[in-house]
Amino acid sequence: MSDVITIDHGSGGKLTLELIENIFKAENGLDAAILDDLAFTTDSHSIKPLFFDGGDIGKLAVSGTVNDLLCVGAKPLYISSAFIIEAGFEIEKLQKIVNSMQEEARKANVKIVCGDTKVVEKGKCDGVYINTSGIGKIIKKIDGSNVEDGDAVIITGSIGDHGFSIMNKRENLNIDVNLKSDVTQLSDVILPLLNSDIDIKFMRDPTRGGLAMCLNELCYKRHFGFEIYEDKIPIKEEVRVISEILGIEPYFAANEGKMVIVVKKEDAPKTVEMLKKNPKSKDAAIIGEVKNSLQGKVVLITPFGSKRILKMPVSDKMPRIC
Amino acid sequence: MNLELFSDPQIVKKLAKAIQTEAAKLKKEIKIMHICGTHENSIIRFGLRDLLPANIRVIAGPGCPVCVTSSRDIDAVINLALKENVCITTFGDMLKVPGSKLSLHGAKSHGADIKMVYSIYDAIELSKNSNKPVVFFACGFETTAAGTAAAILDLKLPSNFFIYSVHKYTPDGVYALLKSGKIDMDGLILPGHASAISGLRTYERFAFEFHIPSVAAGFEAADILLAILLIVKQINSNQAKVENTYNRVINYEGNTKAQQIMDRVFSLGEAIWRGLGTIEHTGYILKDEFAYVDATKHFNFEYPNHYIEHKKGCRCRDVILGKAQPTDCPLYAKHCTPYNPVGPCMVSDEGTCKNFYDGGIGE
Ligand code: SF4
Ligand code: SF4
Repeated sequence: MSDVITIDHGSGGKLTLELIENIFKAENGLDAAILDDLAFTTDSHSIKPLFFDGGDIGKLAVSGTVNDLLCVGAKPLYISSAFIIEAGFEIEKLQKIVNSMQEEARKANVKIVCGDTKVVEKGKCDGVYINTSGIGKIIKKIDGSNVEDGDAVIITGSIGDHGFSIMNKRENLNIDVNLKSDVTQLSDVILPLLNSDIDIKFMRDPTRGGLAMCLNELCYKRHFGFEIYEDKIPIKEEVRVISEILGIEPYFAANEGKMVIVVKKEDAPKTVEMLKKNPKSKDAAIIGEVKNSLQGKVVLITPFGSKRILKMPVSDKMPRIC
Repeated sequence: MNLELFSDPQIVKKLAKAIQTEAAKLKKEIKIMHICGTHENSIIRFGLRDLLPANIRVIAGPGCPVCVTSSRDIDAVINLALKENVCITTFGDMLKVPGSKLSLHGAKSHGADIKMVYSIYDAIELSKNSNKPVVFFACGFETTAAGTAAAILDLKLPSNFFIYSVHKYTPDGVYALLKSGKIDMDGLILPGHASAISGLRTYERFAFEFHIPSVAAGFEAADILLAILLIVKQINSNQAKVENTYNRVINYEGNTKAQQIMDRVFSLGEAIWRGLGTIEHTGYILKDEFAYVDATKHFNFEYPNHYIEHKKGCRCRDVILGKAQPTDCPLYAKHCTPYNPVGPCMVSDEGTCKNFYDGGIGE
């Protein structure tokens, strides 16, 4: 294995997971730590471009942290934000970023309570990096400890929107499709579920590495795996088009406003019904089920009835050469 | 054209059934080769091998542009970066392909300035903002070669921008291999994108000279199954001709405009294919008129005396020739993974071993 950190270690794929396990010696089980009745999480954000269709790095930072708290069943309450800014960065852009952080925090009903600013020399960072930490109050502790054979897997909406809209912009692909990042905080989507009697077993937002990484992480080194029906996964036509052109499957593209939820089988229809009431999750669907026999594996059933294993991505997927 | 038809499960199932029926008439087990990395990708993605009867084997040929790039060229480019202080730009997949000692990626830690780009346009942009020479390491088959040629003709290139072309022409590569008897197969699925450029005309000699049914296919499940069905039908009726199931993209003459552009910029000469050796008439070489962008004319290219195409144990050569499946290689998924590829076939999403690995096959 490589003896230096490579870009791939930060891609959110298997190498990231190994880095966390082997070097930081941290259990990478959950998106946020559960501390008695509190949840605590932290996340750093670097993204190119800083402004994209549907949001910017500020919106991303707040919603990412809010969503991580939701994953463990907490109601997000407070957020801190720390900025690393490159000398020469325009104040106007910074103001835009801060405004959208505040806007998103307001929507999520969380308070930004403290922060920090560092400026580094020109060329030492890509404009702005933001670190956010968050604290929430546990409503229903969700840590995956009670996942059972037959539980249903639900996704709250279409996949790949964020990843492909960013790629379209970053790579100057200029593919003429009407696609926006889905970046958003999901408090209004998830809190009603947490406050209901639905038996939620596990939850994770499929960010870097996409749905493929998310599902693999959920069952990584656990006693169960997933069987997923490809034709049930909601995917926008625009995403399909870019996916074809780039040769990258939507399963590997990042999302910033979706959640994968594992619930008790009997509760699945009700969960989807509740989700569909919110415009953010109107395309929610049951996409598969938990299988104990699959131990740590994610198997896709194609619409043609054939099977294939969906692996953790090795690194960020590359557009095909031809 | 209704694209959805090609991924309609009912149609796919019907095709699979038709193949079963036709295959029952086959007198022996047959091998159908495709020569396109994207086809392998689709086959894995749709689990198509699952749907085929046991007497039809679909194997991958030399279809990945990264896999067939010789270590010699990778070594030379690394040397150039280290000795002449130039910046090398190339596609992401290329960075990880092992050369004799190092990959381009590995050469970075020895001080080489190597940057990933998504296209030649990126590389040109980069050179505009650079005060040193920038060399674009241009790999890929006719699809990508057409892009390189167009960029040279269309754009005003910065004076510090150069191209090192290892572009290769597929049809003559496969033709030479067939002629040498190095590959054997009973039918050929013709590549989707590459044939769109070169046209189907050039494949007729495959049918005539070697009696190989050849069918062009797109990348949806039904596209590929339909091609397989037609090949089996040809075999059963002892025919060998070129057929086209992808006429929404490919035609007989190909993309003549792209051909003309390439003719202006390149001549076809020798190329070294990794593991397969030198093949005439398959290397896109910049014509003299374009010497001003040709990196080989501007820098002191030091080609290694000895270069290692395949590490010990690696069976990439057989994999590229369709003689072995990735799972036949003792290193597959054990010592050789995409995290630490021993051979080139484990690097790119178009590489056969990488496709197998991603599909979780044989683990
Ligand atoms: S179309 Fe050509 S370059 Fe693309 S994967 Fe197929 S053979 Fe390779
Ligand atoms: S598994 Fe690795 S070493 Fe073996 S043939 Fe494939 S690329 Fe070469």
